Amino acid sequence: MTWTLFIPELYFAFTAAAFFGLSLTAQPNLRRDYLAAIFLAAGGLVVTLASVRLEGMLFFEAYRVDLFSQVFKVLVAGGFFLVVCLCSELNGIDERHHSEFFLFLTTCTLAMMMLVSSVELLTIYISLELSSYSLYVLVPLRKGEGVDIEAGIKYFMVGASASAVMLFGLSYLFGVAHTTYVAELIRVLPGVITTPAAILGLVLTLCGFFFKLAVFPFHYWAPDVYQGAANQVTAYIATASKVAAVAIIMRMVSLGGDSTYLVHTLMALSICSMTLGNLAAIVQKDLKRLLAYSSISHAGYVLIGILSMSVTGYASAIFYALAYLVMNLSCFLVVVKVAADGSDLQIAQLAGLHRRSPILAMVLMLSAFGLAGIPPTVGFTGKFLVFAAAVEKGYLWLVIVAMVNATISLYYYIMVVKAAYLAEPEGNPSRLQVSAATRVLAGVLVTIMVAAGIFPHRILELAKAAARSLM
Amino acid sequence: MSMEFATFPFLTAILTSCIAGLLIILFIPDERQVLIKQVSLVFSGIAMVLSVYLFFAYDKGKGGLQFVEKVLWVDSLGIYYFNAVDGFSLPMLALTGIVLFTGVLTMWELTHRVKEFFAFTFLLVAGVFGVFMAMDLFFLFVWYDVSLFPMYPLIAIWGSTRKEYGAMKLTLYLLAGSALILPGILYLFVKSGLNTFDVTALMQPGVFTPFQQKFAFLLFYLGFGILAGVWPFHTWSPVGHVAAPTAVSMIHAGVLMKLGAFGVLRVGIFLCPEGWQYWSQLMALLATCGIVYGAFVGLAQTDLKYVIGYSSVSHMGIVGLGLATVTVDGLNGAVFQMFAHGAMTALLFSSVGYIYERTHTKMIPELGGLSKVMPVASSYFIIAALAGIGVPCLASFWAELLVFIASFRVYPVRGTLAICALVVSALFMLRVVQRTFYGQKNERFAHLKDVSFGLGIPRMILVGVIVLFGLFPALMVDLVQTASIPLIQGLPR
Repeated sequence: MTWTLFIPELYFAFTAAAFFGLSLTAQPNLRRDYLAAIFLAAGGLVVTLASVRLEGMLFFEAYRVDLFSQVFKVLVAGGFFLVVCLCSELNGIDERHHSEFFLFLTTCTLAMMMLVSSVELLTIYISLELSSYSLYVLVPLRKGEGVDIEAGIKYFMVGASASAVMLFGLSYLFGVAHTTYVAELIRVLPGVITTPAAILGLVLTLCGFFFKLAVFPFHYWAPDVYQGAANQVTAYIATASKVAAVAIIMRMVSLGGDSTYLVHTLMALSICSMTLGNLAAIVQKDLKRLLAYSSISHAGYVLIGILSMSVTGYASAIFYALAYLVMNLSCFLVVVKVAADGSDLQIAQLAGLHRRSPILAMVLMLSAFGLAGIPPTVGFTGKFLVFAAAVEKGYLWLVIVAMVNATISLYYYIMVVKAAYLAEPEGNPSRLQVSAATRVLAGVLVTIMVAAGIFPHRILELAKAAARSLM
Repeated sequence: MSMEFATFPFLTAILTSCIAGLLIILFIPDERQVLIKQVSLVFSGIAMVLSVYLFFAYDKGKGGLQFVEKVLWVDSLGIYYFNAVDGFSLPMLALTGIVLFTGVLTMWELTHRVKEFFAFTFLLVAGVFGVFMAMDLFFLFVWYDVSLFPMYPLIAIWGSTRKEYGAMKLTLYLLAGSALILPGILYLFVKSGLNTFDVTALMQPGVFTPFQQKFAFLLFYLGFGILAGVWPFHTWSPVGHVAAPTAVSMIHAGVLMKLGAFGVLRVGIFLCPEGWQYWSQLMALLATCGIVYGAFVGLAQTDLKYVIGYSSVSHMGIVGLGLATVTVDGLNGAVFQMFAHGAMTALLFSSVGYIYERTHTKMIPELGGLSKVMPVASSYFIIAALAGIGVPCLASFWAELLVFIASFRVYPVRGTLAICALVVSALFMLRVVQRTFYGQKNERFAHLKDVSFGLGIPRMILVGVIVLFGLFPALMVDLVQTASIPLIQGLPR
């Protein structure tokens, strides 16, 4: 029965339908929506985990289920579940819209799961648009004085332009290879990759995904959208959405063979992203904006793994995606809990956090040092693997540039830690109420961050196996 | 999983005692400060006893790597959890244990955020111990970074005098160093083609071409050299020393700076001996600059801690000069100097810390005549200062003697310059001693109590160490030789 391959997607489609049903009820019931979301998301994670070892093709060979896609589906479903865990007090969003919020979050997750499995250009495009349109709705859902609308419009404009560029690139690819199937493209493209049309087509196609990952020069939306969207939505955009983008970029880059044009383009974009993201992050006052610029720089680090175009390179990028997901979610856990009223969180507002809530301060410190790439966190191990893959290919200078960048980034991460641990707040703010569930969640995230950093062996083997199924 | 444990895993036990101390402290409530200090004392005591035990238990007749612990960690990358000690690392381990224990005792009077202080200290020291015992490049680098980042909160929260600036400068400088080290490690890993981070496998002759050794050595020398306070990358060090709280200054100047010199030795010199020979001229030049510069700048300081900070730059220059000679005596002297300087600086900072806590100033002109008020506390400082000058019968004398004998042979001009600088540093140390402890008594401080017996214990231990190795230098030299002679004999001619 081939439809069993499609069970995770069907499950999320069903979940979306359930929330659609809930959104039709006249009286909003926050408790009910939240509990439904938690259970359905947990179920989704279990279903995705159970289907990790499935393999096969669907829909006239346009849809491929293999270890690569399934690993990323687990990451996306895991990210979705953890973001839903952060939604116990969804104060940033109007009460009437809670079920719609969960509905669009689910459709977006569904779209991303389809995106990582698609191996046909139009299917990829449709999945990408479905996920983008869900986010276009989610961003302006926030209660606010217009910042959300501005962010929503910006996101939509940049997204639509990136889509247009990408469609243009897809037309070139089709023109060169006379096929929209990735399997065919892999066969045909390396032969013609030196022709301008092919390389231009591939790079323009990648632009659509660079927009998702916020790679320079498609990063302009990130700071405004991060700041303008509700904290939970930002958490989702910063984690699950980025992971799916990494997956599809890997799939597209693997088409290019070992083209030096492509490698050099990616290298340039990677260096620009890292440097621009890190330098701009230094001057930020708003924690979410800071995380936006940090995500731009992390997109650069991931690209280093991808542009190595080897099994170890792709495996390191997969590992990095996992690391990034966990570290960023930990940061957003702190954002969501400290700014419990759903407002934006200024870095200065973190003052005295170590007394208000020692556990949140610890989570913030670990995730900030993790993002900066300090051992023994998973962030260091991820960087180490990415850099090892790049040096293996002889890109030593790129690694040195990246390491210098990591040192620059340490400055602003330390500023965040400093605010939480050193700065004395004005007045005497009360202790934060941290529920038992949040403590458990924080404990789990910290454990993953440290344990996966010290014992990367199993995850790395899985990532390698996944990368092999890509090649 | 292949495992290889020759004996009881002493080295892992040292690390475990630090990490266990850290975890237990995390679960004690903030208010129970005395309990936190007692726990810290017990675990730092265990670490010290184990590390000193290893120092004497090492079989000098057999030499080589001993107390080996090796477990395969990540198969596909050839990463091993590989700990072992030799004549170079044992003095460093013993030093770390002693400085940690005395540092904990020195901070007995701390009342501000006690729990976090000792937790960060244990994390820092676990990293330091790890670097000194790791024989796998991956773990060496991990421990190296682990030992760096707790410095930021330690200085920024508990420090003094421009603490946030000092802490940030120090952290960024040191991590900029690791930005060179990691590419260097990865470069060697890839170029060796052996798919292993095992130092013993990579240090075999013929694994790397001369060019690769020269290139990688430069990365390691600059990267680790920043932490060793190599001139002109030393500027973080006096600022950091001054800003740090007493115990952190002790650990930092006493042990952490040695981490840099040890990194140059363990990674740079072990893996890239030809690079070492090639760049030794440059090393000698920078080291001499550091010795001379540190001495002269120290002369102009009015802050006690700045004086010690610049004398550290000068003394670490002697370590660098010893390494640059590429001789057995030079290596022996360099390692001996690391140890002696560690004990001496720890004693200096410990004494200054005591004085600062009582007088609330460390400006030399404001002090004066302290030996009449607190004779015991003063004598600790004076002993350490004399050790710094290189008075015979104290540990530093032998270390400096060995380095200067070696450097005279290899670099006559630079050796002479360095000895002249030593005279200047003697001048500034004696000037500090004279103005701070003798002369007109400052009535403001007349009521202050002298150091009690209990608070004196850490200083006594350090004085004991300095005198012991001053009287019996063979204890140290015989041990270091077991590592330095094979290293020099293994060099390509």
